[in-house]
This record gives sequence, C-alpha cells and structure tokens, in this order.
Amino acid sequence: MTELKFLGYLAEIYGRKRAEIFVENPRKLRDILEVEFPEDRSIVLINQRVGNFDSIIRDGDKVIIMPMISGG
Amino acid sequence: MKGDAGKIVRVNLSDGKVSKEEISEEVRKKFLGGRGFAAKILWDEVSSVDPLSDGNKIIFSTGPLTGLPLPSSGKMVIASKSPLTGGYGDGNIGSMAAVHLRRAGYDVLIVEGRSERPCYIAIQDEEVKILDARDLWGRTTFEAQDNLEAKHGRNVGILVIGPAGENMVGFANVISQRGRAAGRPGMGAVMGSKNLKAIVVKGTGKIPVFDEEELREMGKEGYREIKGKENYDFWIRQGTMLVFEWCNENSCLPTNNFREGTFRFSKRLDGYALEKAKVDRKGCPLCNMQCGNIINDAENKNSELDYENVGMLGPNIGMDDLRKVGVLNRMADELGLDTISLGSCLGFLMEASEKGLIDAGIAWGDLDGCKEVIEHTVKKKGLGEIIFEGVRRASERVASGSEDWAMHVKGLEISAYDCHACPGMALSYGTSPIGAHHKDAWVISWEISTDRFSHSKEKVEKVVELQRLRGGLFESMTTCRLPWVEVDFGLHWYPKYLQAVRGQEISQEEIFKLGDRIYALIRSYWIRENRSWSREMDYPPSRWFEEALSQGDLRGYKLDRARYDEMLSMYYEIRGWDENGIPQKETLEGLGLGDVELVLGKND
Ligand code: SF4
Repeated sequence: MTELKFLGYLAEIYGRKRAEIFVENPRKLRDILEVEFPEDRSIVLINQRVGNFDSIIRDGDKVIIMPMISGG
Repeated sequence: MKGDAGKIVRVNLSDGKVSKEEISEEVRKKFLGGRGFAAKILWDEVSSVDPLSDGNKIIFSTGPLTGLPLPSSGKMVIASKSPLTGGYGDGNIGSMAAVHLRRAGYDVLIVEGRSERPCYIAIQDEEVKILDARDLWGRTTFEAQDNLEAKHGRNVGILVIGPAGENMVGFANVISQRGRAAGRPGMGAVMGSKNLKAIVVKGTGKIPVFDEEELREMGKEGYREIKGKENYDFWIRQGTMLVFEWCNENSCLPTNNFREGTFRFSKRLDGYALEKAKVDRKGCPLCNMQCGNIINDAENKNSELDYENVGMLGPNIGMDDLRKVGVLNRMADELGLDTISLGSCLGFLMEASEKGLIDAGIAWGDLDGCKEVIEHTVKKKGLGEIIFEGVRRASERVASGSEDWAMHVKGLEISAYDCHACPGMALSYGTSPIGAHHKDAWVISWEISTDRFSHSKEKVEKVVELQRLRGGLFESMTTCRLPWVEVDFGLHWYPKYLQAVRGQEISQEEIFKLGDRIYALIRSYWIRENRSWSREMDYPPSRWFEEALSQGDLRGYKLDRARYDEMLSMYYEIRGWDENGIPQKETLEGLGLGDVELVLGKND
C-alpha cells in the first residue's frame, strides 16, 4: 500500500488528511491524486526525499504533500 | 518627499523637555522608515551605555506605509539597545498606537532619560504630555490598558508594560490591546528602567500621501486579492497555528528544550485542536487576515495564542494541553513577558532539574510549577531569579556544561523551530540582526523543497534574500509580512504602494540595497557595542551540533559544525563582511555608510 499524507489546506483540497492506495503499476503522482493542487506552492516528499507531481510512485512509498508555508 | 511626515517627536523624561525635529530627506531615502530609522538613530545617539541606564533611548518607529488603508499596515517597530543581548534589539507590534502616531503627524517617537517617578506619555496631535503613572505601577498590562482607556477613551493607541518591564526582567516586552506583543529583547525592561509605564497616542490628522486616490484603489484591490487566496479560509481558521502540524511532520517542532523535533502529543496542541478550543479571533489594525486566536484557557479566561507561544510553552516544556498552554501564555501577556524566551527559560530549568543541576527543580509539563516560576521571575526570586536575565545568563549561573543547551544566539532565546536538520534555518538564526529570531528569514520550506541537508551557496543566498525583504523592506515600510509570506499576496504590490505614497519609484536593486544597508548598520552597531565581538557570536548553540535527534523520521540527524562554518563564510562573503563578520570598508562605503566605517575603523 502507498501512504498519502496531506498537510494544512491541501488536505481540504484532497478531501482527506490521509489515504492508503494500492498502486499496482508505478504511476505519476498526479495520476494517482486525480485532484489539482497548487503545485508551485506545494512540497512533495516521497520517502522523505524531495519529489514532485510527476514523480513515479511505487507501491509501498510514503508520500507527504504539504503547503510551502513561511513560518510566520 | 511625501508619505512620511518626516518628523520625530523626542521626549526627555529626565528634564521633561519635548522637542520636534525633521528627518532629513537623505535619511528618509536611505533608511525608509521603521527599523531603518531606528537603526540609524541608535547608531547616531546610543553608544557605550548600559541598556538600563538613562543614557539608553527607546524608539517607536513607523514607516511610510504604516497606518494607511493597505493590507496589514498597522505596525510599528520598537527598538533600543537591548538589556538581554547588549546589542541592537527590536520588535514589531500591531497596534492602534502605530496608526495614531502617524495621524498625529509623527513618524518616530524617541524617549530618552529617566523619569524620577512612574509616568506615561500622552500624545494628542501637537500636544505631548508626561503624566503621573503611580496609580498604574504594579498593574498588569490588561489592567493598565483598561485604566488608560477609561481615562483617554477607547479611540486611542496604547502601548504598555507590565510588572515584568517595571522590574526590568531581561525578556520583558511591550503589550498593546491586551495581547499584541513586541520587543522580545527586553524593550519592556528599557521602558521600565525609565519609569515609563505606557504611551497613549491619539492622532486626528491625515497621513500625507502623494497619490491618495491611486493608493486607495490599490489598497482595496490588495484586500480583495488576499480574501480570494485559496488558503485564506484555512488561515482564518488556524492562523499561524497551521505551522504546528507541519513542523511536527518535518521534525522541527521544538520539544523538551530543543532536544527533539517531534512531540508525542502534538495532536492535542495543533491547529485542529485550536480550532476546537477557539472562541474568538482578533488582530492588528487594518488587517483582513487577523491571526490572533482566542481560546478559553484552563482557568476560564481568554488567552490569545499563536504558533510561537504554543510551540514554546507546549512541546518545548512538555506541556500537552492547549488550555494549560493558554494559562501560561495569558500570564505572560498580563505580566509583559515574552512567551518565546519564557518557554526557552522554562525548558532550560526543566532540563537542569532533570539533570540534578538545580535544587527545588521543576518537572516537564508541570503547570503549577510553571505558574510559580513565572510569578517568581517578575519578583526575581527562587527559580525565577535564575532566569531573570534570560537563558544565557541562567546557563552562566548553572554552569556544568549547561551553556551547550542554553538555546539562544547572542543572548536572545531561539524562537519555535528546531534546527537539528535545518542548516539554512540555523544560519538564519545565527545571523538574525537581533539574536535568534525567525522574522528576518524563515527558510525551512525552501530548504525542504530543494535539498534539506545541503549547505549550498544557493541556500545561503536564499537566507540573504529573505533577510533583505523580510528584515529590510517589511520592517522598514512598516507593514506585516504575513500577507505575502502566508497567503501569497503579491510582493509586486509593495513597490507600487511605496510609489503611490512617496511619489518615487523604488527598484528591486534599491530595495535590496536598503536591506543591505540596514543590515550592515545593525551589524556595525553590535560590533561597536561589543568589544569582545567574534565570529562565534553567529553560531547556534552546541546542542544542535553535538546531540542528534533520537526520535521521528529524522532520528540521527544533527548539524555539522564544519559545514555550518563554510556556510557562514559564504554568508559573510555575499554581505561583504570579513571572516569575523565585520563589514568591510568598501562594503560600508558602497552602501553610503562611510561615516560608520570611520568609527569601526577606530576599534581595530
Ligand atoms: S496577519 Fe496577524 S500579525 Fe499580521 S497584521 Fe494581521 S493580525 Fe497582525
């Protein structure tokens, strides 16, 4: 299973804070998500490494999608 | 040049003299306002004095955008030579006092000398009075605000100190409107040292603007743009508290005196917990994204929370209940204590207790113990006496290696971001012009989105760029940076606003140069006032280099001292400072600070 985690307002765009998805064949993240995100204001981490919405996701990956915040 | 009154009102509390002076066109061009003016005045007028003596001055400084109908423009900078750090200190506050000062026709208020007895300054347009504050002395900031509103009406701007400032606690701040706070590096203590309890300002005039109609239209458009931003609603719900979950996920939430970057009970304190506990919202004047979240605390009183105070009075001291955090936060606001430094000092005491270094210690998360320490800090007794002058001095007293985990830079306690795994943010803290604070450059998102663990020149350049914009431009205009940094309000608006106000274009190059000039001047101030200046003053504490994180996804990570050093050298090179972080002759001359060079040169 691939774990997806969404932080902040991006969770509201996706509709959930967390999801577990079975990724049978490796696919681009954007194809898995099927929802549009503000990509230039988002950070994608795949297994704690920087990725993007075109990164290929394999089953078992841990993906965090979070807003590019600015810490006050 | 329009757009600033170009006027200083100066009040000498020793002889009661009030004078008014013009700010020259040259100074207005070179330093813009706010922090720029404050740095210039301190450089020119406050040298080699004890920060708590009558020779120090405290400066309340607005900028050309302050108080105008523009997004989040109700801000002013409060600056002085800091009793906590011995260097340049400032903080910005959202307050009607900023708006009224400009309406009264002044850009800057300078207070100097020392009153023989407790007093407050009341300004109404041209009239400036020094009034008796004996009945206010000893009162909390909330009580003093109420009392002054009863005397002067509610349509005034008020800045007050609490008992912490009166008793000159090193991290006493200035409070306005029951919860707006500023001046972490002891600006409240400087007011207390002058027997100055409060400032009340009422202005009824118009703030001069070059093209009023254009400005009004652009202001309206700006407010509209902010409201339309996709994360606006989320911001309104959580404000800066949205940072909490984000930091915990990214291992930068200060936990147990910055030992860790994740907190086991974070869900009890995060933005979603806040949403449940929230009873109201408030904020600074002229702002349509008000971020003060009011909760009902564990003692059934209102407490205004943001990320910094929850981070420092929550996980950093092992407190896992938002309503209890609210109690400590409210007490700090009432007494006029900075919550960030307080959280750091409490964390330090808890760790020292755990290690058996102090008698009658205090345990992690002990609410009653914390309340007692807070009360004792103001009275300078018990454990409160140890932290009275902040965590640096506390560690000098406790010794036994505690200097390594006294979490400060240059004497100012680190705000709520753990940097075991954020080298860029560590550099930002190391080089912040007031000691460790995040307002000048918060670079963690950028470093995570590129290469978190790199120590690249690109990262150093990013820190400098943010310092130029956040620490130079925003602190000097003087408006809140949060519309830009938090909801992505267009940065391109600000040069347009400045042009409509002053009738003069300002290029990006000039903006960057302004930031560099202010930075070079503040850095020169630190060096002039600290005879023992050294490169080490730009280092974060040893804990982040020596002790790795033991929990979370990034366990095992810590900073690398040699690589931090390389980044620091790159930083100095970009800034045109030498290997000890001292601005070079050509740099100062290139920034139009030749006179500064003459003074620094004599120190060699
Ligand atoms: S965003 Fe928050 S800090 Fe900034 S002006 Fe508005 S209320 Fe004040």
